[in-house]
Amino acid sequence: MIFVFIVLSAITLISSFGVVISRNVVHSALFMSGAFLGVAGFFAMLHSPALAALQVLIYVGAVTVVILFGIMFTQRPQVRRFRTILNRQVGAGFTVALFVGALLIYVFLQQDWGSTSAGHGPRTVASLGRILVGVSSGTDIFALLFEVASILLLVAVVAAIVISRRKTGEGVERRAEE
Amino acid sequence: MSVTLVWYLIVAAMMFAIGAWGAMIRRNAVVVFMCVELMINAVNLTLVAFSDYLPKAHGAGTGYAVLVIAIAAAEVAVGLAIVLAVFRTRRTVNIDEINSMKG
Repeated sequence: MIFVFIVLSAITLISSFGVVISRNVVHSALFMSGAFLGVAGFFAMLHSPALAALQVLIYVGAVTVVILFGIMFTQRPQVRRFRTILNRQVGAGFTVALFVGALLIYVFLQQDWGSTSAGHGPRTVASLGRILVGVSSGTDIFALLFEVASILLLVAVVAAIVISRRKTGEGVERRAEE
Repeated sequence: MSVTLVWYLIVAAMMFAIGAWGAMIRRNAVVVFMCVELMINAVNLTLVAFSDYLPKAHGAGTGYAVLVIAIAAAEVAVGLAIVLAVFRTRRTVNIDEINSMKG
């Protein structure tokens, strides 16, 4: 179990680091899917196989593909040097991120978590579903949150279409200019 | 010696810090999105770890993680639409050059 944990955390952290320092944007996207796969492995270790499957389907499948489409639409071929991908706050940003990480780890270590033992999560899909519709004990609020999330998804999809839609004749004009 | 709650929390904290670092230093708007996704995933990891290790949580953390995944998917859709719209008007996604709202 410890061996699996170490391998998964190595995958996750090295891939996360690769997202930040990779010079090619497509490599960043692929590193990101590697980090998501590592997190999916953690979910499986934490007795949530249904959530691990959701993570693989939504993040490794859908989000990575959408971001790759975004890269295809927006990137021009350009010189790839570290000067061109990083802004001037590398040192300051590293200091701030180090401080944030150290503070979080300090808080996690100082906090007394009481009696913790593995295996309290919803192992089966049925119990996860009961939590999500709010009929499980102590999770009544999810009945509301589930509906709000569905409305939010609908609004977000409509908004994405409205924002990225080309106005009538806009594309034609640019093609004439070029 | 077995894997305890704090190990997961430390890995998630490091992942969050790396994502925050990337969101602060990268120039490309799409890569900034990816770093935000990394931070969201780190928070999801802490939620699921709490749900599995704390007896009184009733597994609520896993439910919250599902909601976070849904909201992150919506954020990616709207965010990339905004990046596309900005690219169409400015011909760049470098966030150092997109400063027309600067006071």
